[in-house]
Amino acid sequence: MDPFISITSAVFLPFVLAAVVPALEKLLKHRIGWFASLIAFISFLLIASIIPLVHSDPFQASVEWLPSMGVDFSIYADGLSVLFGIIITGIGVIIMSYSTAYMGHKEDLPRYYQWLLLFMGSMLGMVFSANTIMLFIFWELTSITSFMLIGYWRNKPESVYGATKSLLVTATGGLFMLAGFIVLRAITGTFDIPTILQNEALIQAVQSHKLFLAALVLIFIGAASKSAQGPFYIWLPNAMEAPTPVSAFLHSATMVKAGIYLVARVHPIFSGTEAWFVLVSGTGIITMLVAGFLAFRQTDIKAILAYSTISQLAYIMTMFGYTTYQEPGMGVAAATFHLLNHATFKACLFLVAGIVAHEAATRDITRLGGLRHEMPITFIIATIGALSMAGLPPLNGFLSKEMFYESSIEMGHALGSPFTFIIPALAVAGGVFTFAYSIKFIAGIFLGKRPAKGLPPHIHDPSFVMIVPAAFLAGFIILFGLVPSLAVQSLVEPAASSIMMEPQHLHIQLWHGVTTSLVMTLVTFLLGALVYAKYDSLAELQNGFNRKYPMISVNYIYDGLVNNAKSTLKGFASFMQPGPVKNYMLALLGLMILLFAIPFFKLAGNSIPSLNFDVEPYEALVFIFMIIAAVGAAVLPKYLQAVISLSALGYLVSLFFIYLSAPDLALTQVLVETLSTIILLLAIVKIPQTFKEHISPSVFIRDALISVAVASMVLILLLYANQGIIPPFESLSYYFIEKSWPLAGGHNIVNVIIVDFRGYDTLGEISVMCLAALGVYNIIRSRGESQ
Amino acid sequence: MTTVITKMITRICLPLAILFSISLLLAGHNTPGGGFIGGVMFVAVVALTYVVYGIKEIKKSFNPDWGNWFGFGLTISALTAFSALPFGHNFFRSAVEFIPIPFVGNLGLVSAGLFDIGVYFVVIGSLLSIFQMVGEDK
Repeated sequence: MDPFISITSAVFLPFVLAAVVPALEKLLKHRIGWFASLIAFISFLLIASIIPLVHSDPFQASVEWLPSMGVDFSIYADGLSVLFGIIITGIGVIIMSYSTAYMGHKEDLPRYYQWLLLFMGSMLGMVFSANTIMLFIFWELTSITSFMLIGYWRNKPESVYGATKSLLVTATGGLFMLAGFIVLRAITGTFDIPTILQNEALIQAVQSHKLFLAALVLIFIGAASKSAQGPFYIWLPNAMEAPTPVSAFLHSATMVKAGIYLVARVHPIFSGTEAWFVLVSGTGIITMLVAGFLAFRQTDIKAILAYSTISQLAYIMTMFGYTTYQEPGMGVAAATFHLLNHATFKACLFLVAGIVAHEAATRDITRLGGLRHEMPITFIIATIGALSMAGLPPLNGFLSKEMFYESSIEMGHALGSPFTFIIPALAVAGGVFTFAYSIKFIAGIFLGKRPAKGLPPHIHDPSFVMIVPAAFLAGFIILFGLVPSLAVQSLVEPAASSIMMEPQHLHIQLWHGVTTSLVMTLVTFLLGALVYAKYDSLAELQNGFNRKYPMISVNYIYDGLVNNAKSTLKGFASFMQPGPVKNYMLALLGLMILLFAIPFFKLAGNSIPSLNFDVEPYEALVFIFMIIAAVGAAVLPKYLQAVISLSALGYLVSLFFIYLSAPDLALTQVLVETLSTIILLLAIVKIPQTFKEHISPSVFIRDALISVAVASMVLILLLYANQGIIPPFESLSYYFIEKSWPLAGGHNIVNVIIVDFRGYDTLGEISVMCLAALGVYNIIRSRGESQ
Repeated sequence: MTTVITKMITRICLPLAILFSISLLLAGHNTPGGGFIGGVMFVAVVALTYVVYGIKEIKKSFNPDWGNWFGFGLTISALTAFSALPFGHNFFRSAVEFIPIPFVGNLGLVSAGLFDIGVYFVVIGSLLSIFQMVGEDK
């Protein structure tokens, strides 16, 4: 099949078929999950079909979309996007099958699977986007779908809090990224990513440009917010309120890796500079240590996994940053391999967490323990996952951890003393924390003694449907560990090659002799065991610190910002929108006087307009009536009289339109006047009939002055205009008069303008009318409810 | 307001005014009129009937959901705007076609006319639903 068709259908199939999920659910009931996993499986096959293709050259194709903006719908498939595509759809199949057993039959299943499918489609769209605008759109779509999935249980305040937090952090980060893309566009003149990647000179131009740092920082903020790096980590722990399969899918294997993807995608453009190393590796190392350490405090098993995800993603970030100072490729290869491995072992551990929560009805690690006899299969799977995370041979985590150490040693050497020691030491520290919480995960749930109370009496391994997906992932952990070449040749090498923009060959073996990195691994295990022995006291230390200084926390700042936003904005809103219509009128009319005064004083020197009393007697009569009606509307004491006086004025105006041979204006004026009078009358029967407001003399004088000023300004300007003192400019109406018949086939120019020449405006206006009707409906309804 | 005379006049006016509003709508492209004016004409006469006979009384025999009308109108207008796309034209591109009818002359069919019909329904639907809601509100 044509690769373009394969990729576009893999991306859009989930979007299209998500629409039929509610209808199919009526037919399939709770088995709808199998339909969703079938879709994921088809997408998986479609993407797997292009694996052989990207070994040679990246695949590119595009369809014209917004030619005037230089933005096309274009697909770019290289090793990196295919690696992500395989992870997204592969884990997608596993998660959706698992969900069929995890989600109760009474849940709102169509909504759940719809959003999962939409998320999968957006994620695929993002990794195959060839231009930054498309990438941005799909990027924000993943934020929105993630928001809906975290907030799946709408009635739980924690879910709502977590969902809001993730949306605020990641979507705001996305806006920074967009700004970064626009800066990049300003430098390179294109939104197209491959155009930049394949042009050596352009990359040089970017790196030497004075806006280089701005573009890098802005784009990196986007990546860091999505991948929960640096201070933006705060959203991920709260996102654990999502159903566990969602956490496994979005918040460990795929969405949080979008930031990693972005860093890898722009790697050829920005890497090799000092700023790149400081920003990417610096953020990575700090996040790795802090998040790894903070994991100790967590008692929720999903929260432990969330902190470990943050820390593991930080490993990957760090390695991407290494490229600047070392033999190209080593860090990138290690990062890409770890990316794949992390997706397998972390998703596996989340599925285990889901099984435990499902069977034992709690996720609190202090209330769990000793479940190894009751859940032997789950215990084995969990052990494989956790030991892989801890970096034990012969599992895949061991291999990529070794590579991480190796590239850290290289990095240290490249930087020279004192970094020769510091950087490997920091890497080991990260590994030590990982080892400790990995062991805690197994020991806390499965080892030790079963708590005397608090757990259900009969706990057992879950059904086949839940155990198989987890076992499947555990199988991959062992397989990639024993035969790394399997994954490396087909997925990791092409991905690393496309990140480096040159062919990479990796030789990953389980046993590669006694090297420094192997020694570091052994040191890690030793220190890890020591730290594990002190696990509880370290957690207590953190808790104590937190109690003492609650202010030293990113969450504290976030909550402060969000909670104060309401009151800050309230002040702003009450200043801008005080309520009484009178205030708005004052502002509007004041501005009008100001604007009129400028031409007035400019023209005053030229000549004084003369008044022209040459009017027909019947015109004069209408004028007199109009003046009477206007004065009446202003001074009459009761609403009813004032309204009638006002509408009399309106009808008299329409009489003038007839004199001036504008029949449709006159017709419209009469009809609108009639309607508004009726509606005003309907409204005023419900309120007191007289104006009760007391007006002080000073307010009265102010209002009168403003009215007189506005009126006389209008009068004088009209006189100027009428006597040709204001310089005439070419009227637009000639164009319409000329083109109305030949272009639109109509003689009534007013109507032709409304429905044809300016039809877009009209569409907007009628939408506003509909919204106004809905608004009135809401106001009247909500008032009825509050009474 | 509800004297026998107003009731009688309303009764006579109602069908005439509705016919007039439709003629305003259809003829609007070449002579004074159009979807907006036609719609307001329709609204005015229905509002008159509501006032003269009372909303409750009218609702017993004639009670359309005006909310549906504006939804319908907005859909028609938007679809008309999009309808040029499948033919490879720009958004909102209009089409004109003249069909000769024996003894009558040329009947001009304009795609913008369809758009105008949407406007007509939006005006009627939104104004009358506002009118009804304000009128029924206690």
